[in-house]
Amino acid sequence: MAKNTDLINMKNSIGVMKRSIYIWLLVVSAFGISCSSDPEISNDMLDSGFIYSIPDSIQKHLVSEYIPIPTELEKNTPVIIAAHGYTATTFEWDELRSFANMKGTFYVSQVLLGGHGRSYEDFKNATWEDWQLSIKVEYKKLSDKGFKNIYLAGSSTGAPLIINLLTTDFFTTLTQPKGIFMIDPIVVSSNKTLTMVGLLGPILGYTTVELASGETGKWYVYRPQESLKQLMTLINTTRLDLQKGIVLRDNLYIKVYKSAIDDVADPVSALMIYKGLKYDWILYKNIDVEMVDSKLHVFTRLAGREGVTAADITLQQKVFADMEQKMIK
Amino acid sequence: MKKTLLVSLFGLFFLIETNAQFTANYELGVGARFQKTEQLYWENGVGIDYTSDFLLNKKIHLKMSYASSRLGSALGSNAIKQDNYVIGADWRFRSEKDFQILAGLNTGFFHFDTEEPMFDVLPNNSMLFSMETGLFYKFKFPMAASLSVGYNLINGDGVSKPGTLFPVFYQLSVFYCIAKK
Repeated sequence: MAKNTDLINMKNSIGVMKRSIYIWLLVVSAFGISCSSDPEISNDMLDSGFIYSIPDSIQKHLVSEYIPIPTELEKNTPVIIAAHGYTATTFEWDELRSFANMKGTFYVSQVLLGGHGRSYEDFKNATWEDWQLSIKVEYKKLSDKGFKNIYLAGSSTGAPLIINLLTTDFFTTLTQPKGIFMIDPIVVSSNKTLTMVGLLGPILGYTTVELASGETGKWYVYRPQESLKQLMTLINTTRLDLQKGIVLRDNLYIKVYKSAIDDVADPVSALMIYKGLKYDWILYKNIDVEMVDSKLHVFTRLAGREGVTAADITLQQKVFADMEQKMIK
Repeated sequence: MKKTLLVSLFGLFFLIETNAQFTANYELGVGARFQKTEQLYWENGVGIDYTSDFLLNKKIHLKMSYASSRLGSALGSNAIKQDNYVIGADWRFRSEKDFQILAGLNTGFFHFDTEEPMFDVLPNNSMLFSMETGLFYKFKFPMAASLSVGYNLINGDGVSKPGTLFPVFYQLSVFYCIAKK
């Protein structure tokens, strides 16, 4: 009797195992079918690697290159190292550069993040530390050349890359930054599907964005799941750092500008940065945050956009002027 | 909305306590709930689980809970203080066994504290609506535990929903059976 029961149990177990194997085969084959290969890339896309010239960009956009031996006057002129967002290029800060050229009161060094402006394959293989490296390299060069008033500006993903530098000893042996400006920083993505990239990424392979005609060739069209995972790692690391608290130097000025409505970088990111970046309590002061009346993500970049309003232009110019005043006062 | 929800919750449990059919051979557990949201906070709190023969021979369980980052990630940190008030119902497979499988729907109210007037422009209140599935185990002594994964069908979008309302969460609930008839 006991043997019969054992036999029945064994048969049941084999049945369960068989069912499990069938389910697994189904899941694995579903993954196999769903896994996308690399996308088709045309030569007019930034992703092709034929659009953006890295040597030209370095010469044209980096202050350390076009002012190789600064004079005393140039060393005392404020310089902002401007870092763009995920999938973007130096184009994102062109309008601040034009503003600076017009005013002649400060320089803008537009860094191209690692893995960006190159090709789909380069983007796929780059880590967020690679993205950050170009900011560090330019900062060190400017510091070594004797620039005394170095500022940092980060739009969208550029911001957490800069916040991360504050958690390291990167600045210890260099000229200390005077201030940091953030435009629509991302600590929380508005699209919450990003939080599931670890699970969905291998199934999706990559995602696609639609660009306006004025944006074509300036942003990647395809976002490989590997880069989306890097983005999630970066913003989650930043969120945790802010949660623990990052103590600021007394004289480091920080200003965050955040669109109140933003379908890319969730506006709650501004609250997390406000709570997480702290001066010594004895100073009884906080970083500056301004929630701006805009629905645009990176509202300071208007070039290439469709439907730009007079209010958008006014806001952009007001913020640029505000940044300038803070640097030259 | 918060008041309406609380009144509804008390109403539901008043009904349970006063309806004879509802209380025929019932089980009422109270306990702690530990919740981890994927890529976000720990939010912990308390919960109640109720079932009776009237509820399809204990195949349906009614629940209510409160969980907050105030009792989790926000304890001694800069995490945003947020609260979840939840009511829900589970369907239990193998309800006569100690080891059960659950699938349920929850609704409720979510709120986070903006703390500073400048952040009052942020959407910080939302209705909750989630699906949940997991495992439940009834111990020989008067305790039970459940481990589940849930998905919030309403979550933050950067426009009109709270930014810290994320989709996927995991829960561990531990109940002590305070009443059994």
